[in-house]
Amino acid sequence: MSTDGTIHARGIRKSFGPKTVLKDINLDIASGEICCIIGPSGSGKSTVLRCINGLETVDSGVLKVNGENFGYYETDTAYHALSPKKLAEQRTKVGMVFQQFNLFPNMTAQENIMAGPVLVKGADKKESAKRAHELLASVGLSGFGDYYPAQLSGGQQQRVAIARSLAMDPEIMLFDEPTSALDPEKVGEVLMVMQDLAKKGMTMVVVTHEMGFAREVADSLIFMDDGYVVERGDAREVLRNPKEPRTQAFLEKVI
Amino acid sequence: MQQITIERSEPMSGKDSALKPRLKRRSTFEYVAWVVCSLIGIGILISVSTNPNFKWDVVAKYITHETIVRGLMLTIFLTFASMALGTLLGLGLAIMRGSSIKPIAATAGAYITIFRGTPVLVQLIFWFNVSALYPNLTIGIPFTDIGTAVDMNALMAPITAALVGLTLNEAAYMAEIIRGGFSSVGKGQIEAADSLGMSGAMKMRKVIIPQAMPSIIPATGNQVIGMFKGTSLVSVLGVAELLQSAQLIYARTYETIPLLIVASLWYLVMTLLLSYPQSKLEQKYSRATSRLPRKAKKVVLTDPEGIAR
Ligand SMILES: Nc1ncnc2c1ncn2[C@@H]1O[C@H](COP(=O)(O)OP(=O)(O)O)[C@@H](O)[C@H]1O
Ligand SMILES: [Mg+2]
Repeated sequence: MSTDGTIHARGIRKSFGPKTVLKDINLDIASGEICCIIGPSGSGKSTVLRCINGLETVDSGVLKVNGENFGYYETDTAYHALSPKKLAEQRTKVGMVFQQFNLFPNMTAQENIMAGPVLVKGADKKESAKRAHELLASVGLSGFGDYYPAQLSGGQQQRVAIARSLAMDPEIMLFDEPTSALDPEKVGEVLMVMQDLAKKGMTMVVVTHEMGFAREVADSLIFMDDGYVVERGDAREVLRNPKEPRTQAFLEKVI
Repeated sequence: MQQITIERSEPMSGKDSALKPRLKRRSTFEYVAWVVCSLIGIGILISVSTNPNFKWDVVAKYITHETIVRGLMLTIFLTFASMALGTLLGLGLAIMRGSSIKPIAATAGAYITIFRGTPVLVQLIFWFNVSALYPNLTIGIPFTDIGTAVDMNALMAPITAALVGLTLNEAAYMAEIIRGGFSSVGKGQIEAADSLGMSGAMKMRKVIIPQAMPSIIPATGNQVIGMFKGTSLVSVLGVAELLQSAQLIYARTYETIPLLIVASLWYLVMTLLLSYPQSKLEQKYSRATSRLPRKAKKVVLTDPEGIAR
């Protein structure tokens, strides 16, 4: 078993039709590392995250998640796609939090959180319900278990969505602009939950425009532009002292 | 309380300007329309009630006649049986249509095209006469001797042919309705399910179908009403449903119009009875909160927002 929370990418390319979105992506994220990805819109940040949990497949390059080739097994001559079952199993070890929350509107907060363990892993319902309570408490929403997503504010929904991903006990958590769809006053509560999570030693990759979060919480920072990783390094170092002109220009605009 | 002073624009008027009712404007056309439509309505009513050829006494005599009631029962049975089977088959077709495996999606596509593209009446007559194509239907395991042959002519009795024809045709329409419902479920929902590692069947059962229901159910209600009237087509196969029952009687008594009125009244009553739950369903699912299951509405928001840490 190599469920180790690392992400390793070499020369990843990905095109949508004629458009090459990821041109040469190289990443090394260690177990327990908090990595922020920043960059202008359309630079391919979401696509990188979506490749890491298999919502998109890469065209070429090496992609190892949790130490395993993701979505494929390697032979001497080629990568062969895994069966849907194996792919699903790999995905359960990678949690994804979406910009639009994507909670299931037909399920209560608690049912959303229990969906993964009960429906996918076949876990015991009682145990999962207990776990769901704990998770709700950990995101500051004890007592909200019976609420449907439509009855919750954006910030609350996003916290339930984080709890839903955590319920699968993933090694890695991916966040795609988790606070971009929120009202400004709700951003803090979600960032606080993420900050708590960061202390617990889980690998986190966070696409964000919250430079404050990147500065205070992240270990490493990646700046992407036009399908390339332009600059990467220690988060505070890059933010304070960007080396690449494109990073400098971007940071000047957002800070 | 703040004192409000009301300015009177016309000192002559007796009423307080702020309290005067605001009247709707009625055009001359509206008055004319009332008069013309009332006259036409009264005219038709007088004609219908005084023309002896309508033979309302015959209508009254046959409206609850045993043959008619039996025909009505068969019509109801055909409606619900073919709707139920058609919906099941339609669900299967809708799932096939959305398959990423090309031949499966294409097969469902071809089925839908053929069954929606040809008249039901033709389809019904076709199934009734299918024994001309396949006189003996052999059910068994290919390349072995195991199996039995069934005489197609006996199998495709009128009622069977009617049920098969209506079901297969309805399935094509239901498939399109269900597929439309599926496509109303956001891409984000499917991605969320995928990222939890849900299998295709699980995703369908727990995420897609429950969320597609609000758009599928009202449309299905409409289909039931349509099907109720559509069953009259199977009278051509000699199935003694409502219309055929009426025809059987007037073939004997030559009281054609009164018996057609009997059948029509039943169709109208049943359609109205079905329209009520249908409009309730439509209301329920067209509201903005419709995405909430009913028990959700009981939950009262009490706690304030924020993190209780
Ligand atoms: N499914 C898709 N089909 C076609 N083009 C896509 C798809 N997903 C993303 N793209 C394109 O890829 C580019 C990068 O998208 P994305 O990764 O979402 O950027 P970011 O998250 O940095 O804003 C954009 O130009 C976008 O239009
Ligand atoms: Mg994005």
